[in-house]
Amino acid sequence: MRKILVIAVREYRAAVQTKAFLVMILAMPMFMIGSIAIQKLMRDKVDTNDKTVAVWDQTGRLYAALEVAGAQRDAEEVFIEVGGERKKVKPHYLLQEAHPTADTIEQATLELSERVRNDEIFAFLIIGRDVIDPPEETNGGKESMTARVAYHSANPNYDDIEDWAGDVLNAAVQEIRFQALNLQPEVVRKSTRPVSVANLSLISRDESGRITAARETNRFANFMIPFGLMMLMFMVVMVAASPLVQVVLEEKMQRIAEVLLGSTTPFQLMMGKLVGVVGVSLTIATLYLGGALFAVYNAGYGALLPTGLLWWFVVYQGLAVVFFGALFVAIGAAVSDLKEAQSMMMPVSLLIISPMFVWMSVIKEPLSTSSTLMSFFPPATPMLMMLRISVAPGLPMWQPLLGIVIVLLAAIAAVFVAGRIFRVGILMQGKGANFSEMFRWAVRG
Amino acid sequence: MSLQEVIVQIESVTKTFGTQIAVNDLSLSVPKGSIYGFIGPNGSGKTTTLRMIMRIYHPDQGAGHIRVLGEESFEAANDRIGYLPEERGLYKKMRVKELLRFYAELKGRRDSKQAVEQWLERMGLCDAGDKKIEALSKGMAQKVQFISAIIAQPELVILDEPFTGLDPVNADVLREAVLDLRRHGATVIFSTHDMSVAQDLCDYIFMIFRGNKVLDGTLESIQASYGHDTIRVRGEGNGYDPHHIPGVEKVTDFGQLQEFRITDQTDTQAVLAALMSQARVTHFEITKPSLHDIFVRIAGVDAADAHGHPEAMATGSQSDA
Repeated sequence: MRKILVIAVREYRAAVQTKAFLVMILAMPMFMIGSIAIQKLMRDKVDTNDKTVAVWDQTGRLYAALEVAGAQRDAEEVFIEVGGERKKVKPHYLLQEAHPTADTIEQATLELSERVRNDEIFAFLIIGRDVIDPPEETNGGKESMTARVAYHSANPNYDDIEDWAGDVLNAAVQEIRFQALNLQPEVVRKSTRPVSVANLSLISRDESGRITAARETNRFANFMIPFGLMMLMFMVVMVAASPLVQVVLEEKMQRIAEVLLGSTTPFQLMMGKLVGVVGVSLTIATLYLGGALFAVYNAGYGALLPTGLLWWFVVYQGLAVVFFGALFVAIGAAVSDLKEAQSMMMPVSLLIISPMFVWMSVIKEPLSTSSTLMSFFPPATPMLMMLRISVAPGLPMWQPLLGIVIVLLAAIAAVFVAGRIFRVGILMQGKGANFSEMFRWAVRG
Repeated sequence: MSLQEVIVQIESVTKTFGTQIAVNDLSLSVPKGSIYGFIGPNGSGKTTTLRMIMRIYHPDQGAGHIRVLGEESFEAANDRIGYLPEERGLYKKMRVKELLRFYAELKGRRDSKQAVEQWLERMGLCDAGDKKIEALSKGMAQKVQFISAIIAQPELVILDEPFTGLDPVNADVLREAVLDLRRHGATVIFSTHDMSVAQDLCDYIFMIFRGNKVLDGTLESIQASYGHDTIRVRGEGNGYDPHHIPGVEKVTDFGQLQEFRITDQTDTQAVLAALMSQARVTHFEITKPSLHDIFVRIAGVDAADAHGHPEAMATGSQSDA
């Protein structure tokens, strides 16, 4: 046991006291903060150059509505007051009515397109002549070309004008239709007002016998907490456990292993590495979880994060690191160069990311039979069980406990098999082993 | 030997790798406090034998016993044994002192700080203590590795090729350290290709060839078993040709000196007379063969020759160790 600890301490130091580790630890949050900051910065830095939009209104009745709405938008949205200063935050839409002289719509569209290409206008709208009173759908349910508004531009992803025009034109068309039917717009709006559906928690009786009010469920928390915990576990396993392949390979190829085996048994050596790596993983998890908790409490969402989750996380994460770490140790001991190692790591990496293929359906229905069964598949158990614990309504206690037993057994089996492969492989030089040879070593012992 | 305490006792041990026999029915006993030298050509089974003593390899099932420091358990690596493997391996990124303390601690020695300082000074590595291993020269790294093997004051020290790659000054430092270990009661087993080191340093010499033991004993007893079958001759002008003198079996020309091996019943006076008839002889010596000569006789290209030493006829597969 003492030797395992001595090796674990060295392994831990070697992993943690490197610049790469420090960079990795800092890079992750910096990357996240940076991406948020950049997004925020970019939101303020929208292109405020005015945009000229040509409108060919084939109905002859809708352009006016666009002009009115455009004027209102110019007055209300384009400038904001920042500390007594007027700041332009959006572009003006400079509307101009187009009256193409071409014979066909196609020809006219081409002319307008040329104007966009020549930078005379930014985009153009063609309001079909049947937009207000569309003909019955005869074309196999397909919308008639003349019954729609076409927005043409050279920037398909700039959808601000499209959205704005769509809202304005829809409102205007509805208004015209109501009038045609002699309906009061106010009456129609009132009678078609949508009904909202609130997503609420269950209520219960508190200690004093009062019935607690239902909490409005927080979609953000319901989604982000399970997702965040799963991603963190994934990251920790990858960052802490997967370097074991390289560490073991290096010890093997640089003949350090033989020196160590003069002082420890192969099993002690391997266990020391695994314990060290669990330490590394706990360090990463503590830093990130601590940071996340700090952020969550500072943002006032503290109540949303049940702290009991963290204990489950720590246990499952430790077991996942031992399980996958043992597999990585076995690979490192069996191969003879990094290229071989990478091809062997593929299947193990696939096992690690396997929960990501099903996580959406698992958090949607955490208690379904398929979710339950999948969460008892050992390589996926740590992540899927964490997902299931962290979403309402929670699990019957025996399930996460059984999950721990299953992963523990799987981890012991992995350590046992890896120990046998490690013992043979660590002193082998020359050609690396393939899976069938590793299997033979594991069986024969 | 039987009266002394035996530190390593190997009895009829065989080790095969697949179909290759690395070590064949080997027996050996190393007395306490001795320096035991393993010699033999590359791939003859030296390292395999050392690794078996270290319990890194285990003998074939049911094929003999190895008792080290009185224990036959094959459970754990022993803290009482220090080991310097043939292939040097040190963590490149660690600093020398940190590394040595790690090895001491691994062997269960906690208060190693002073010992580390002493050994660094002794091996002329005072300035290297805070350097990273990757910054050391090959010779320095080798000395660091030697210290790592003996830092925990083991009772048995196993050194696989400790002198390879050292310059004469460092080789002397190491030789002195090995002798010092023995003075402090340790038993040292080492393997070497350098016959003069083996001849000068070892109390006992053990030679393994193609997995079989071919020599085992003190230098004197080994030489005695070959008898006085060697003649060293120096002559003026190299004007003689010894090849046709009856009884002369093999001639090795060292330039200024020629060495002949003679058959058992050869009359040395007749050889001298024959030489004198050809040239002026300035030096004529009847002597025991050197260890180098014995090694070459066994392992040389003509080892399979019927005139060789009987033990050299041993059969066995080439080992891969």
